[in-house]
Amino acid sequence: MNITAARHAPRRDVGLLWHQIRYEQLSFWRNPQSAFFTFVFPVVLITIFGALFHGGGGSSYFDGLSALQYYVPTIAALSVLGSCYSQLAIVLSMRRQDGILKRVRATPLPAWAYFLGLLAHCIMISAIDVALITGIGSLFGMPLPTQWPAIALALVLGAASFCALGVAVASLIRNSEAAPAVVQLVLFPLLFISGTYMPIHSAMLNRISSALPVRPFNQALLGPFAQHTGFDWNNLAVLAAWGAAGALIAIRRFRWNPRPQ
Amino acid sequence: MRTQVTAAADMTTPAATPAGTPYASAVVVAGLRKSYGAVQAVRGVSFTVSRGEIFALLGPNGAGKTTILEILEGFRARDAGRVEVLGADPGDRSGGRALRERIGLVLQDIAVEPYLTVRETIARNAGYYPAPRDVGEVIDLVGLAGQQRKKVRNLSGGQKRRLDLALGLIGNPDLLFLDEPTTGFDPNARRDAWEVVRNLRGAGTTIMLTTHYMDEAQALADRLAVISDGQIVAEGTPATIGGRDTARARIHFTLPPGCTAADLPVDAMPAGGLVTVQTAEPTQTLHQLTGWALRQGTVLGQLTVDRPSLEDIYLRLTDHGAPERRPDNTD
Repeated sequence: MNITAARHAPRRDVGLLWHQIRYEQLSFWRNPQSAFFTFVFPVVLITIFGALFHGGGGSSYFDGLSALQYYVPTIAALSVLGSCYSQLAIVLSMRRQDGILKRVRATPLPAWAYFLGLLAHCIMISAIDVALITGIGSLFGMPLPTQWPAIALALVLGAASFCALGVAVASLIRNSEAAPAVVQLVLFPLLFISGTYMPIHSAMLNRISSALPVRPFNQALLGPFAQHTGFDWNNLAVLAAWGAAGALIAIRRFRWNPRPQ
Repeated sequence: MRTQVTAAADMTTPAATPAGTPYASAVVVAGLRKSYGAVQAVRGVSFTVSRGEIFALLGPNGAGKTTILEILEGFRARDAGRVEVLGADPGDRSGGRALRERIGLVLQDIAVEPYLTVRETIARNAGYYPAPRDVGEVIDLVGLAGQQRKKVRNLSGGQKRRLDLALGLIGNPDLLFLDEPTTGFDPNARRDAWEVVRNLRGAGTTIMLTTHYMDEAQALADRLAVISDGQIVAEGTPATIGGRDTARARIHFTLPPGCTAADLPVDAMPAGGLVTVQTAEPTQTLHQLTGWALRQGTVLGQLTVDRPSLEDIYLRLTDHGAPERRPDNTD
């Protein structure tokens, strides 16, 4: 809480944002479901993959990469999808249904501070998750990446884009009980055809999934993580376009009120 | 010292306006209308809430109370009419932040994050306001002192409503909206909540509440309006509303054995086992009746004298085909 900065408007807004991030973090870590399924699941997954593929060399199945070189970036991407897209879509539709969003709207907290606070919170959760996944990967023998600026840009852009898509889905869902199902229904096939769990060797499938949001994100991380290439501008552009589309839907369709007028 | 602004100049200004405050009444509603599809929820409602008073909107469920409150709170758009809250239009979101810093509200539904503690929940909202009240003081005020480290999900229904009230108060509002604040409270909790509301008025907060409890309106309100079917059917103080102060007294008793209503010295209406005599002169009528009974050597069983309760007035006003409008601005 930064009440001392209350009188000074710009400093007060910065304090307000920090205040909001702190309480989002508190709500997140206190909730056992969100803490486990969003945060711990990808870490468990990479540990299992690390134990399974420990010490394996490059193979043509993984396009010349070792299994861990392949899975560390795709599971890192998965953790961002969980922390940003799934979490926001579910949490926001539940908060709306419960009337919590309506209550937020009744306070002087500006909408931008609420959403910027959520975005920063999601990026922080993603960053911790990605760092853990990378660390566990290196414990199992994956060489640490060197292209950190490219990784950082891909992560921030990916997190922001999937946050926007999460808010967009929350805007389109009417009933919060349907939210987890809708989120998984969209995400699960997308993860499979985008190569998150196994490389896809179908040129046609890859062409399709390259135009959808998950594969470009995987690719934008795979390059700098495993092949030490730099910024993957084409895939980043596709990702940014999806993020912009999500943001547009979110801005146009987002509702605070549990019941339509 | 009084500052008048043209928009508010035509309104009655009973309370002294502090210097520099550019509004005269806390809430002004004039000709308000709102429909949902073909249903007219609010049909031309006008009232004014003066600064520093407790104003109650009393009416049955579905009368339009919550719709009016939600328009004042900025949650709903109106179809027609003028609305001012602390001198600002709540429908104008551009000035919303400054307005919301000065109003507090307690809605009907409980909506709080389940995993934060009581203290954390209140402290989070305190951070949204430029000059909030002290968190510990508000916790004491609503009677949650023993529960401040408890997670919200472990609170009872009544405790959650107290927390809701705390969230309405934490910003130290000039104006507090309470939508059916004590629904679901046990009698002790209601008395406590009423005491909190009275203390707030004592500290200068203007309070507008909705309720369908007559005793609540009677106990709290300085002024009230009865709303039925989207229209205000009466307005006044709890003592005078609906002509309560000038209404005729009612004398009830059981007929002595062997008598009929026609034997009585005054006009009487049988109702159930009792007869009721209405009179503008209860002292004289009672004397006539008891004198008659003594001369007959009998008694008037279950004898009572009363005036219409607020509940009688309310039921008469809200249970009707054509609403009669009885403005009663005696204060």
